[in-house]
Amino acid sequence: MGELKLKPQKNTRTIEEINAKIRKGDAQVLTAEEMKKLVESSSIEVAFKEVDVVTTGTFGAMCSSGAVINLGHSDPPIKIDKAWMNDVPVCHPGAAVDLYIGATAMSETQAYEYGGGHLIEDLVKGKEVELRATAYGTDCYPRNSIRTNLTKDDLNQFYLLNFRNGYQRYNCAVNSRDETIYTYMGKLLPKMRNATYSGAGELNPLMNDPDYETIGIGTRIFLGGAQGYIIGEGTQHEAKSQNGTLMVRGDAKKMSPEFLRGASFTRYGTTLYVGLGVPIPILNEGLAKKTAIRDEEIFTNVVDYGVPRRNRPKLAKVSYKELKSGAITVGDKKIRVSSLSSLKMARQIATTLKKWIEEGTFFLTAPVERLPLDTTFKPMKQTETTSFVKNVMQMAVTCKETEEVRTIAERIVSKSVNHIVAVDNAGKLIGIVTSWDVTRAMAQGKTQLADIMTRRVFTAKPDEPLEMASKRMAEHNISALPVINDEKKVLGIVTSEDVAKLLGRRT
Amino acid sequence: MSPNYWEGELEMVRLLLRFSEEIVDQPIVSELILEFKAPINIITALVNSKGGEVLAEVPQEAADKIVKALRKRGVKVSLPKLIEVDAEKCISCGSCVALCPVEAIAFDEHASVVFNKEKCVGSTCSACVDACPVRAIKSVKQTNHELSYTAAKGALGKQ
Ligand code: SF4
Ligand code: SF4
Repeated sequence: MGELKLKPQKNTRTIEEINAKIRKGDAQVLTAEEMKKLVESSSIEVAFKEVDVVTTGTFGAMCSSGAVINLGHSDPPIKIDKAWMNDVPVCHPGAAVDLYIGATAMSETQAYEYGGGHLIEDLVKGKEVELRATAYGTDCYPRNSIRTNLTKDDLNQFYLLNFRNGYQRYNCAVNSRDETIYTYMGKLLPKMRNATYSGAGELNPLMNDPDYETIGIGTRIFLGGAQGYIIGEGTQHEAKSQNGTLMVRGDAKKMSPEFLRGASFTRYGTTLYVGLGVPIPILNEGLAKKTAIRDEEIFTNVVDYGVPRRNRPKLAKVSYKELKSGAITVGDKKIRVSSLSSLKMARQIATTLKKWIEEGTFFLTAPVERLPLDTTFKPMKQTETTSFVKNVMQMAVTCKETEEVRTIAERIVSKSVNHIVAVDNAGKLIGIVTSWDVTRAMAQGKTQLADIMTRRVFTAKPDEPLEMASKRMAEHNISALPVINDEKKVLGIVTSEDVAKLLGRRT
Repeated sequence: MSPNYWEGELEMVRLLLRFSEEIVDQPIVSELILEFKAPINIITALVNSKGGEVLAEVPQEAADKIVKALRKRGVKVSLPKLIEVDAEKCISCGSCVALCPVEAIAFDEHASVVFNKEKCVGSTCSACVDACPVRAIKSVKQTNHELSYTAAKGALGKQ
């Protein structure tokens, strides 16, 4: 007793000490959610004393994921040039028979419905997949093509190698347009009738150690149902804006399809849902405090995905607590919100990792280098100028609704245009007539413009990318769009001819 | 004696009824409830002076008779598809939840997504179907009764 009193109160612990406890089976492990409750009901000091490890988890669509595989050599051997597995194009970034399956590569026969993510899931499940490959043939690799069926057991290596996973937090998406849009943030109803978000909030790995005190190269983690490793910061990693990301690797042969799911985002593409969990060793009181972070302290932006530009408008700030509640408020509008990532699975991952540590099958590692705090995420340098609608639009030839078809016909000839835009006295759009409408009207003996003009007009905005306008014309099989501002005032007209000239020249 | 459709557990069939402008103000559904002494549950109704679209549920045993009577009165009848969620496939992401106009899909207290088939208005909505990233939501035909064939044929023949 006397001896104990003399010992100074220790206010740190090491990873070695924690691992020794894990080996003995008496490490104290809590999931991040349990940790928050403990801190709330006791104190940071108590939590630090009682808890050795806090487990985190997240399960979401992570597009920058994929798998490296090595096929072994065929006889005669082949240096693969192009390859497909289950009709999904697979890249060949390295030597003869090393391939990379990208999660977003889509099947050439079932685009959008089957892709690299599904292929990885099928392999993990033990399913047989078909490999087709072609080659140009060399003296040492004479073969020109190969077709074979494989399972994961036939592969030498099958490693998950994801270059950006586990975003610390992510945007909440809405759509201000008048039409439903399908994005990588899911299906967004018109006029902000729903919102989507991603991320586990207070269960997210990086959010529980936002200064990356314990996370870096070599950190052992839960990845896809097996043990994996962090191999560095992910692409686009930016600590100062709380947008940290992870690059990870793990042996996919040991993973479970429960935690790796191929997925399809309608009209967007395929991806892979990845289950990832990081153990946070509670080395000091500071970490006890950090792992106590709550959803109400984690904020993200509500972003308008209806604007297809890099700087999409930010409409509001919301906390993960609001997001998880099912409704957010933007201005005075209440919007129903739901997640794309799975909180249920995130919890299951944190709980599974906790169990592994308690059972003594998972030991912690100290990173050999911590994740960087100073990198920034820059926009792309563009050396070619991008075209927007305003760059190609022309003056619109206009008319009034009260004019006669004959007058319009004359104007079409004198201005040599195919479209006349009908405006009111304030210059606001009310309709459009084409030279074809006019020809037909004259043939039918119609004289009043009001009887023949189209009133439901597809339009473009000056700051829209040209591709969007072009897509809209193609979708509706029309050849021009009046360009209007927010007040519906006509600013000009963009025609498919002008667009084709410009976009055509670039390709 | 006409059978009593109100007793016991009833197998119900969902019907999509379209009323034209001319007949929308007639009390057709109430008349049939009285005529056949069978429940006709209205699940959703979109009605105005120009016509109406009603999703209704009728007992399977009386379905044929009711469909015939409805058609005689000028109502267009078709069999909507039902929505099914494959709980094995579902990852409880929630992508479907905020899209559902009638809150037929919701999170339970364990963050699991649960689907209430009774509340769902079926293929006339389908808002959730193409939003499911793991394709756990499917539109399926109502097949457990003979009406599927006649109703589908009738709908095609008349429209
Ligand atoms: S089909 Fe419509 S009503 Fe039914 S669950 Fe889906 S969104 Fe809800
Ligand atoms: S979108 Fe699909 S996977 Fe996600 S909760 Fe709904 S049914 Fe389940």
